[in-house]
Amino acid sequence: MESAVWIILLPLLTAFFLGIFKLYSDKLFYSLVIVSMVIYLYLLILVINDSYPPKVYSIGNWGLLGINLMVDSFSAMFLLIIAILFITVIIFSLNYIKVNKHKFIILTYVMIAGIAGMVLTADLFNLYVFLEVSSMSSYALTAIKKTDKSIESSFKYLIMSTFGSFFILLATILTYYLTGTLNMAEISLEFKSVPFMIKSTIMFFFIFGYGIKIGLVPLHAWMPDSYEASPIPYNVLSSGLVMKSAIYALIRLLYVIFGVEFLTESGILNIGVFWGVLTFIIAHTLAYQQSNLNRLLGYSSIAQIGYITIGLFLGNEKGLIGGSFHILNHGIMKGTLFLVLGIFYYSLKADEIEDIQGLGYKFPVLSFTFVVAALAIVGLPPFNGFISKWLIIEAAIEAGFFYAAFFILVGTFLSLTYYLKVIIKLYTKTEKKTLIEKPDLSLKLPTFFLGSLCILFGIVPSLPLSLINNIPKFLLNNSEYIRILLGG
Amino acid sequence: MSRVHKIFRKFYKIGLVLFLAIFLLFIFDEIQNLDIKRYLSEHYISEGVQETGAINLVTSVLYDYRGFDTLGEATVILTAAATLSFMTPIKKVKMLGTEFTIIIYQTIIIIIPFLVVLGMNLIFFGHISPGGGFVGGVILAMIPILVTINYGITFSENKLKPNHKSLLEGIGAIGFILLGLLGIFAGSNFLASGQANFGLGNPGELISAGLIPYLNLMIGIKVGAGLAAIFNSLIKEG
Repeated sequence: MESAVWIILLPLLTAFFLGIFKLYSDKLFYSLVIVSMVIYLYLLILVINDSYPPKVYSIGNWGLLGINLMVDSFSAMFLLIIAILFITVIIFSLNYIKVNKHKFIILTYVMIAGIAGMVLTADLFNLYVFLEVSSMSSYALTAIKKTDKSIESSFKYLIMSTFGSFFILLATILTYYLTGTLNMAEISLEFKSVPFMIKSTIMFFFIFGYGIKIGLVPLHAWMPDSYEASPIPYNVLSSGLVMKSAIYALIRLLYVIFGVEFLTESGILNIGVFWGVLTFIIAHTLAYQQSNLNRLLGYSSIAQIGYITIGLFLGNEKGLIGGSFHILNHGIMKGTLFLVLGIFYYSLKADEIEDIQGLGYKFPVLSFTFVVAALAIVGLPPFNGFISKWLIIEAAIEAGFFYAAFFILVGTFLSLTYYLKVIIKLYTKTEKKTLIEKPDLSLKLPTFFLGSLCILFGIVPSLPLSLINNIPKFLLNNSEYIRILLGG
Repeated sequence: MSRVHKIFRKFYKIGLVLFLAIFLLFIFDEIQNLDIKRYLSEHYISEGVQETGAINLVTSVLYDYRGFDTLGEATVILTAAATLSFMTPIKKVKMLGTEFTIIIYQTIIIIIPFLVVLGMNLIFFGHISPGGGFVGGVILAMIPILVTINYGITFSENKLKPNHKSLLEGIGAIGFILLGLLGIFAGSNFLASGQANFGLGNPGELISAGLIPYLNLMIGIKVGAGLAAIFNSLIKEG
């Protein structure tokens, strides 16, 4: 399982080498970006293929004394999202980014290393360190345009997110103090003898801290602002990976460390489902009022996170499958929407709903891609969003949360209203003559790739589901996960 | 009305803080009374010297048992420098011109060699005495910082160019990873030193503890360069 550690090391190493190369030669810089991307894709496929049954890699060969990495199906699905989004975003931004291009690429590599570390690690403090790596680079990427607005939003993001990190660190420290170990499997075993009250407090700290990073209402305030001010390729990664890696970490901690029995007993599953419903209802209504497309998509991301939260907090097998599948689907759909918006912005600086009027006739294929992704995110068949949403609704009914299932349908109609508003605007004829910079193929190709995945995963959902179906085995029944992690 | 409102807000904040503090007090009190196992730290204390070869236990945990965290922390410093350089606005504000007396200018020149020696000592003896790469790097970063404060940013950047700082930072980070990869090439896992049969030597000697002294050096270079860059990017715009 040597390749697991390379998943973290390769982007880090690349980022540091790029930092040196940018001082001397542009040619070397870009060839390294391409070469390392291709190798990384190969490594990711290798690790994803080898993810079942789970593998453990011990850093420094210390076994339980040191840090362990573990690849199971849940982390493999995240590696799949990294593989899809990272490649497209890097190709897209090679042409798109004009300001601070070198630093954008370097920081993106660092961020990917952080997210890969969060996804792979089986150690509580290591998780915190990589969480900091990924959020630190997110702050920098939000502020990368250096306009007043981007600095303000990045500062807001930094303050709120650091507040969340503080709670996560506090909970980590308390956990270490209580159990004397940082290995997730051992913590889980030791936690059985910790009093209920203390365990609940630690869980509350974790949920509050990660809630800010995930962007659950009312802890979401930083997100739309940061979307409006940051470069659009970063938004793809932010909504597809940064938020998602936080919810990954939270779910991993809750299900592995606390165990599903404690979650049911403490009632947090009910709270989580209710919180998810609250989040998407509020986010949908807020999204309806936006005039800026970046903010609209940002609120839509928060709403989708609400669906994912419901799915993952249902505590049954179907819910975990549906929630995880929606994580993957939302990354792809939102990525498509943002990339199309990016091309509009690149060509004619359009990111308000008013500005995109009539673009459906100027960019027929791109607009069609936008419509496909918008309908997919609303949840209409035959696109991928429909299937994962359907799974979540089914799981909610199975678990007895009828109100959640009902409100998901309501939310679907709410999201249909504002996405229809955008689509109608897109196909409204206008007399306005605008100067258009032609986007070239390197911008269009990644967009079409993501858009075609929306249709592909909708028609053949068994492709990703064959990977995702294994996820509940190691989350619902944490003793399996613990056995593999302890057994080495 | 607004005054009442103001007072209410003030008390509301104080009340919230007090409530959380009392709540935490009870939690911590309960934790104090628990019977807790500490096998991990006991193992580090009793076996750490034999297993890693470093007398300084902090170093042995930081660079051997949990070396991977150190790599992550060093990366955080690098990204923090980048974040700072973006978040300081472009608007130039005139810096407070401070003129020092000749005594200070002269003393700085005398102090700098001592700082170099102290920093290097902390880095190279990190595994056998208190110190280590992080502390040593901070001491080394003080030199460019002192120069910047006393002689101004232009002089300091002329002496140690920003490009060189980022080059040094990159070298430190790459060196750390490459040293870690030695473990893989030796047939063990990433960042293995004693486990990959690199000679641990006699604990207490300068050349001992396998890879730890070299990892210390790399972290020292990286932290020093990173902190100096952070300081300069703060003061440049301030």
